[in-house]
Amino acid sequence: MTAPTALIQIQNLTKKFDEQQVLAGINLDVQEFDLKVVMGPSGCGKSTLLRCINRLVEPTSGEIKFRGQSTLAPTVDVRALRQSIGFVFQQFALYRHLSVLENVTLGLRKLRGMTALQAKEKALFELNRLDMSTHCDKYPAQLSGGQKQRVAIARSLAMDPAVVLFDEPTSALDPVMVREVAELFNRLRNEKVTMLCVTHDLTLARMIAQRVVYLEKGVVKAEDSFENLASSHPDSEVRSFFGSDSGYSKK
Amino acid sequence: MSEWHSFLRDLLEQWPLIFAGLLQTLKLTVLVSVSGLLLGVLVFYCSVSSIKIVRTFFRGYISFFIGMPLIVLLFLMYYGLPQWGVKTSPFVIALIGFSLNVAAYNAAYLTTAYNGLDPVEIEAARAQGFSHFQIFRFVILAQVLRLSIPALTNQCINNLKDSSVAFLIQYTEFFARIQELASTNFQFFKAYVLAAIVYLAIVSVIVWIARLTERRFALNRGVM
Repeated sequence: MTAPTALIQIQNLTKKFDEQQVLAGINLDVQEFDLKVVMGPSGCGKSTLLRCINRLVEPTSGEIKFRGQSTLAPTVDVRALRQSIGFVFQQFALYRHLSVLENVTLGLRKLRGMTALQAKEKALFELNRLDMSTHCDKYPAQLSGGQKQRVAIARSLAMDPAVVLFDEPTSALDPVMVREVAELFNRLRNEKVTMLCVTHDLTLARMIAQRVVYLEKGVVKAEDSFENLASSHPDSEVRSFFGSDSGYSKK
Repeated sequence: MSEWHSFLRDLLEQWPLIFAGLLQTLKLTVLVSVSGLLLGVLVFYCSVSSIKIVRTFFRGYISFFIGMPLIVLLFLMYYGLPQWGVKTSPFVIALIGFSLNVAAYNAAYLTTAYNGLDPVEIEAARAQGFSHFQIFRFVILAQVLRLSIPALTNQCINNLKDSSVAFLIQYTEFFARIQELASTNFQFFKAYVLAAIVYLAIVSVIVWIARLTERRFALNRGVM
């Protein structure tokens, strides 16, 4: 038996916006059931990297493989690709004209072709999993930030994605919410959800990540456990980036 | 008293004609409101197209028909087109002319609402794997229609009021019949006050329907 191929393999990925080199040759793997965190100073290309994976952004060069298949080949069905990759936005991006339940069922009905009843059943299952089933009839404007995030996650998970991408999951939330978000991520990981999370929140990263990828100036500068990056990485810049977490919520 | 007497007598006498005119007014208003909305949605869809030439053309359409006075358009079609051999009834001319004009206004309202949408919701729909048309239908149109209820209602009210212009191309609607009533007994004041009251009453009905619609479909329900 050969080693299992990674779910997502990113090879030499570059992205240029006009003259600005945002990604300068990224190499990164995501294995099934991973919870991988990508960190780095703002402007290092974290969000662009995430958007290249489901082709919201078209890479300039390089390769991204999903289940061993290129996602950039001209024959790829981009919509099918996107349907198997969940994406939870920084601002959660719920459809504000739809209720919580309808936010989750829309994709099931229109993309998966479920009947209203099937979709409702599946949506209730996912909302229940995220403790949001009592808020089904509310509208996004009536929810707190944390609740919106749970609905956005439920909306993603309802499509049974192979992986869920998270863009800055804590930056639109109250800082005291970090622990709750971390608990949620750890629970989802135990439920075998594969996740790739981009964040600059050190506290969150320390609480959830098995492996942390450190991005700087569009390249992967280091990949290791949080503790190793903070204490024993040879580059002092990396050490100081990860060491600057005051650890205020450590217990 | 005899003035009132003769006015009421003429009104009663001409009532069947006036009522028929009122039906013509309502027919034109309802048809134009529906066709103007459908055509307006189509023009809006094209004016936010990702294809530049389509976008430019339909933005030009909006500017052209908003810039052109309705009466000029109607006269052009009613008196101008026959010189090219195209001749149809006043009703057809009014329906087409009004629809072209109203569609431009409705498309402009929808575009304004579109500019206020949160782009991240559209990105989220793309990320979920919806097609271009599905995003338009389920996210963009669903929201801009709700946001535009007040403006679209206003347009329906304008359609009713502007329909009186159609009598200038020989479409015998309500206002044309009121003109006839006024000229039989020269009691212009009473005739036009009657017209004003009837228009106001219909406007009130439109506003009432719009309120119900808005209560049912408004965005951010439960918060406002």
